[in-house]
Amino acid sequence: MSSMLHLKLPGRSDAIRSFKAQGGKIAGVLPIHYPRALLRSFNLLPVEIWGPPRIDPVFGSAHLQPYICSIVRNALSFVQTNPFQTVDVLLVPHACDSLQGLGSILLDFVPPEQPVLPLYLPRGQGMNKASFLQKELETLYQKLKNITGYSPSQDEMMQKILYEEEADQKLASLHRQRRNLPLSDIEFYCLIRAREFLPAEKFSEIAQQILDQVRDEILSGIPIVISGILPEPMALLNEITQMGGMIAADDLACSGRRLYPPGRSQEPFLRMAESLLGAAPSWSWGSPIQDRLEHLMGLIQASEAKGVVFYNIKFCEPELFDLPSLREGLQAAAIPSTVVEVDINDPLSNQMLTRIEAFLEMIA
Amino acid sequence: MSAFGWLTYAWNVQLLGPAALRINRWLSESRDKRGSRWNAETLAPPLKISFKNKELVGRHWLEGRYANLRHKVAWVTSGAPVEIFKALDYYVLYPENHAAICGTARVAVELSCEAENAGYSRDICSYARTDFGTLLSGKTPVGRLPKPDLLVACTNICQTVLFWYRVLARHFHVPLIVIDTPFVYYKEASAHALDYVMRQLEEAISVAERVAGKSLEERRLRTTARLSKMASELWLEIMGRNAHRPAPISVIDQFIQMAPIVEMRGDPETVDFYAAMLEEVDQRIRQGIGAVKNERKRLLWDNLPVWYRLRYLAEFLGEHGIALVASTYTNAWGELAPMIDPDGGMDAMARAYTYPILNRGTRYKLETMREMIERFDLDGVILHSDRSCKPYSIGQMDQRDRLLKDHDTPALLLEADHNDSRSFSEEQIANRLAAFVEMLGVEKWQRSAHWG
Ligand code: SF4
Ligand code: SF4
Repeated sequence: MSSMLHLKLPGRSDAIRSFKAQGGKIAGVLPIHYPRALLRSFNLLPVEIWGPPRIDPVFGSAHLQPYICSIVRNALSFVQTNPFQTVDVLLVPHACDSLQGLGSILLDFVPPEQPVLPLYLPRGQGMNKASFLQKELETLYQKLKNITGYSPSQDEMMQKILYEEEADQKLASLHRQRRNLPLSDIEFYCLIRAREFLPAEKFSEIAQQILDQVRDEILSGIPIVISGILPEPMALLNEITQMGGMIAADDLACSGRRLYPPGRSQEPFLRMAESLLGAAPSWSWGSPIQDRLEHLMGLIQASEAKGVVFYNIKFCEPELFDLPSLREGLQAAAIPSTVVEVDINDPLSNQMLTRIEAFLEMIA
Repeated sequence: MSAFGWLTYAWNVQLLGPAALRINRWLSESRDKRGSRWNAETLAPPLKISFKNKELVGRHWLEGRYANLRHKVAWVTSGAPVEIFKALDYYVLYPENHAAICGTARVAVELSCEAENAGYSRDICSYARTDFGTLLSGKTPVGRLPKPDLLVACTNICQTVLFWYRVLARHFHVPLIVIDTPFVYYKEASAHALDYVMRQLEEAISVAERVAGKSLEERRLRTTARLSKMASELWLEIMGRNAHRPAPISVIDQFIQMAPIVEMRGDPETVDFYAAMLEEVDQRIRQGIGAVKNERKRLLWDNLPVWYRLRYLAEFLGEHGIALVASTYTNAWGELAPMIDPDGGMDAMARAYTYPILNRGTRYKLETMREMIERFDLDGVILHSDRSCKPYSIGQMDQRDRLLKDHDTPALLLEADHNDSRSFSEEQIANRLAAFVEMLGVEKWQRSAHWG
């Protein structure tokens, strides 16, 4: 159990155990976007694999060159060693060249015990993105049906969609009310990231308990926005608090870029597609950099943040391409920013912390 | 276009420039009779067609300098469906090719540094960095790059181009067409993926028409596609001739001669060029000329070239009687030839542009290599592990292991980068190549031993 100020939050293993105890199965899911409700319709609990950090990357290193990011390297090690012994299906959504390669290696050369299902997410600019994604989800349905022998009805799917949409709404409220929640940064992100493994119903319940504690009082600290893939190692968040900073909003792939609005259609596959495509602009959907910049400015304005920390994973090309344009745009608006780079296998470096501290002092 | 613009274009692109390039070719051809700069003891002289290539490519870039005066300009990725834009009279520029020219001219690092100083990381594709360096500094070995009116990124070679072209779109404030080609993990692309690509092609046409201010004529599109197909087929035939022993041309020759098939696909001159090249290659076969004199071992090259060290590799391998006979990279511009169907409409185009090797899984690439090893009777493989080209390089470690274990084919992973010479450690590469050559059982060729 993670210790929280105002609630007990189940850990990943607890969530898996309890879901399995009720007859459910587990889908290991790689970053970034995927249809949670579809998996839940097959009684599969999505448990996300962002790296994970602090595992022995040796297996991954035997299959991937050193210039591939640590998320992909660790994911390969993790999947192969399968410490859960519990993952029944592995879903590999498409996001970047490295995840694409990982999906391909898993299918072709080092197949794990579980079936591997790739999912292509559209990034074209035309009108037919939603209908392609709808078809892609239908294909995924067929594959899951073949694996599980089960074919959920449209009604069952709609029910799961509504659960997920409710959880997504709660998640969005948590983000919106961030500065009025009685949670430190580390607590807040433990809660947010519990969406990576908790069933939607459970998440909504806990999120509501927290939302009920919204106060007028505003959290103290130098407000900043963090942008990147994920805040690992999570100890970073404590360090930022100790330096007097606070994360007022985020543009993280694991968090703020996944605030999905509800879909509109009554057709379940299309509705899931609409919801996914409604997420914040990012390279993973092929959004123009200007849209990303405007989104970032919007976050800064709404959260009254004083600056942006770009927290990059080493070798993460998609982020690296956007970075100079985003920083230039921020600079034009007189918003300071800084960049730090991490490998999720490394401990927090003093050099990096000093840099963040100097940045906080500068913007204070 | 103003009268002055028209005159400037006609004078430079249609009169003076071509004449100067032709004279330059004649002079080079006559100079060539006196021999090559590359090690002539172990390597065959350069193909005569090289001079024609230089002229052709020179004209292309010369036209580029003045293209904004006469044409709409499209900057496109190497896997883009160029036929559409050619048929709409765009001048088509390939930033990847331009970057490769910078690599060969050894100015890529300087340009890359310009990009790095502006905040672009050394970890992104070195073609993109080279391109950004040119944008930021205006420096280029081709004189001047025309400004684009349209950008076209097709993800069938990598996702990186999408990230790269989003930067270009922001820089130039011009429309960006993205043709998103779902990655083919299995043997076949799904029907809905092909349909998705087809619809994007249709949308691309309407954007391209709007920017060009004219409608696409079907007849012209068919003609361009036919010329594309003819050139690709000739290119495929040329590469196929290397099944002969000794191989008449090396992969290094292919790298040098591939510019027209990439950047001038769809032009009649490209068809003529490759028809002439095929003739010369056939003549070499008739005369028993091999690209490497005393060919003893034959290898496959995987991944992009190391543009700034072509000569080093050619000479090192040549000295050991090793010929690079086939390459997955040059093959990529020929293997789709059978799929190009000028009368097949958007449907056929969607298929052809979804199936390049880089848009297919790691096993498909291994199978392509195995098939080439058999067809060309090869003795081993060099896999260029290209630091800043992740999509091509991921999977190589397993591919190498499979080649070694399952197919008993020696395979070497060579760490370098296609355009950034700072990632080329000469000592390390020489050692690894030497060890590989030893494993293949060949020693450095002694002139006396063979010339008695
Ligand atoms: S960190 Fe970047 S490169 Fe690595 S998997 Fe995530 S998006 Fe891809
Ligand atoms: S990443 Fe590789 S395939 Fe993509 S543009 Fe760069 S060199 Fe080409």
